[in-house]
Amino acid sequence: MSSNLLGIRNLEPDQINELISLGRDFKKRVRAEESVPNLSRKVVGMLFFENSTRTRVSFEQAAYYLGMRSSNFATSASSMSKGETLKDTILTLRHERLDGLVMRHKSSGSPVLAARHFGGPVINAGDGQHEHPTQALADAVTIIERKGTIEGLKVAIVGDVKHSRVARSNGWLLEKLGAEVRFVGPRTLLPTQTANLPGAFYDELDEGLENVDVVICLRLQKERMEQGMIGSTGEYAHMYQINAERLQVADPGCIVMHPGPINRGVEIDDPTADGERSAITSQIENGVFVRMASLYWCFGGNA
Amino acid sequence: MRTLLRNGRIIDPSQGLDVIGSVLIEDDQVIEVGEIEDLSDIDEVYDCTGFWITPGLVDMHVHLREPGQEHKETIQTGTQAAAAGGYTTICCMPNTNPPLDNPAIIDFILDKSASPEAGGVFVAPVGALTKGLQGKELSNLGAMKRAGIVAASDEGFPVQNSQLMTDAMEFCVQLGLPIMAHCDDTSLSEGGVMNDGAVSAMLGLKGTPRTAEEIATMRNCLLSLHTGCPVHIMRVSTWGAVEIIRLMKSLGAPVTCEICPMHFTFTEEHIGDFDTKFKMQPPLRTKVDIELLEQALQDGTIDCIASDHSPHASHEVDVPFDEAPYGASTIEATLAVTLTNLMHTGILTPLETINKLSTKPAQVLHLDAGTLVPGETPVAQLTVIDPNVEWKFDRNKSFSKSKNAPFHNMTFKGKALLTFCGGEIYRDALFPSERYAIYM
Repeated sequence: MSSNLLGIRNLEPDQINELISLGRDFKKRVRAEESVPNLSRKVVGMLFFENSTRTRVSFEQAAYYLGMRSSNFATSASSMSKGETLKDTILTLRHERLDGLVMRHKSSGSPVLAARHFGGPVINAGDGQHEHPTQALADAVTIIERKGTIEGLKVAIVGDVKHSRVARSNGWLLEKLGAEVRFVGPRTLLPTQTANLPGAFYDELDEGLENVDVVICLRLQKERMEQGMIGSTGEYAHMYQINAERLQVADPGCIVMHPGPINRGVEIDDPTADGERSAITSQIENGVFVRMASLYWCFGGNA
Repeated sequence: MRTLLRNGRIIDPSQGLDVIGSVLIEDDQVIEVGEIEDLSDIDEVYDCTGFWITPGLVDMHVHLREPGQEHKETIQTGTQAAAAGGYTTICCMPNTNPPLDNPAIIDFILDKSASPEAGGVFVAPVGALTKGLQGKELSNLGAMKRAGIVAASDEGFPVQNSQLMTDAMEFCVQLGLPIMAHCDDTSLSEGGVMNDGAVSAMLGLKGTPRTAEEIATMRNCLLSLHTGCPVHIMRVSTWGAVEIIRLMKSLGAPVTCEICPMHFTFTEEHIGDFDTKFKMQPPLRTKVDIELLEQALQDGTIDCIASDHSPHASHEVDVPFDEAPYGASTIEATLAVTLTNLMHTGILTPLETINKLSTKPAQVLHLDAGTLVPGETPVAQLTVIDPNVEWKFDRNKSFSKSKNAPFHNMTFKGKALLTFCGGEIYRDALFPSERYAIYM
């Protein structure tokens, strides 16, 4: 039995916990150089229709640890640039007998279409502004390592919430596992209607950060300034940058996270990004292990 | 040749008529309506007991896709689908390739739709308001009017420049040509693929705010008020747009409007897991909108119901949501959706229903249609409807070339069983054969 990992929103808390446990277990075993399941007969296609060196390398590393072969599908070299539809690309890979797909695409919901035509496991590596489930899992493992649990924590997700797939996946995951989720950002970068989203919404950083145990910063795209959603990076930094001064209202043990790539000096300052509160490097490392967990889980867990 | 449609419920809003009676057609003309005295020399009889006999339905908003996009629909398949939907007159939109922006293309449309291979319905073309639908220079509207357009519109590419729209309206007043306006402020809607709301926020899809429709509705109504140009607002979808139209009508603006069946049937929630069949322009809105749109249908603020039949090939809709085209193949379901969701629910009376599907659209665009009064239409145009028959819409059995039908697999109550335009142009399989007799 194989399954897809298209998003966090449609997962049950049990399934999320299973993925987290698998990820933590793989981390322990890889670090101890113990054996992990071997999926050596499996080939997974890495379809990155949008540039992402970080996530792609992380998935390739995860596949390598599981003994899988990953087949790279670079868009510039592919037939997508010759006008092939996504459906035909997916059908091609299906009949080339790839066993599974990891896909990143600029269009929200495109992994749903891929899964419909592929017929085997599809893992969403980020779709438009919709979901980025493996990032949320990496962040969950990181939080559990630092805080012992997710339940009962107060977590602030700060920045361009409106356009962020990381914000959505993290929000759903953290709420499903019992955290209090707060989305913080300027009104132009928050969704206009929030009824179908988890958590509470704040436009004042101090209010949003009060007594929080975890802060997740989001990347501010330059595009947002061009679109007139915020005056300048300086204006944004002045109002929403995570730094020691702004963190005074947070819980003294508060940790700070960022999914990367970081705009140092904009959404987070240097000392905080590199300081003892920062869990950023753990997020990156845990990304590999939760992606192992996702591959293993989607391929039915049969080694 | 004398044809009798016997003992039906005759519903003709043009005369306020809702009576049991018969209709006599001689050759291709309606001769008599009501209690027919002279039943001699009848050649054929359709027993319409329990059925409605109405003026042929009029669809103001149809995309026939020809010329240029014949893979989606042709004049032949589109008019056949129209006949099966109960229509005898349809207006085709100008966003073809090339667009309907000059008299030669209008001639082409009229010739092709009158050919024996076509579905037998009248096609009344809507000309492009601006050359190439570019929103920059007015088309040669006078020449196109002489060629036979019944209205001017830039449809899905609405004119943004208010001075150009003012000029267009002033010129159309002179020509006696109504303007059909899809209302959209594209500075607000650019990139939007669904209603800006709770569902778009959840799915991470860019939303089109209701203000985009409402600001443009207000502008077009104001320009109509001040120029005196009759403006027909296409496919209203928000309660705010309806309130604006209500206000502007009360101020005396010569505006009318239409609604499409998707917008009183579905909401943004139907998009579910990125289902492109529900990607509409303007987007599907919310339950609150539907409630207030129903009220506006009831009180007459919404004048007409149009299909906005927008066929697309299957390969064009099996794509990521943001890449999919807008619209749905709807012309064969619009009557049934209206009967099911508006008439059987008590929102519209039978007379109001047929008014919005036939008489009123004909009046808005000055078409010789929408009435059973003898001599008022070039040929007999009428539709026999079984308002109670239950049936399931199956896109695989539709005449339309395209199967992007959100009404697929839905069960409806009511269907057109016979369509007459001159003679019989469509007879549904659900029309019982024993109800037809021929004596020739």
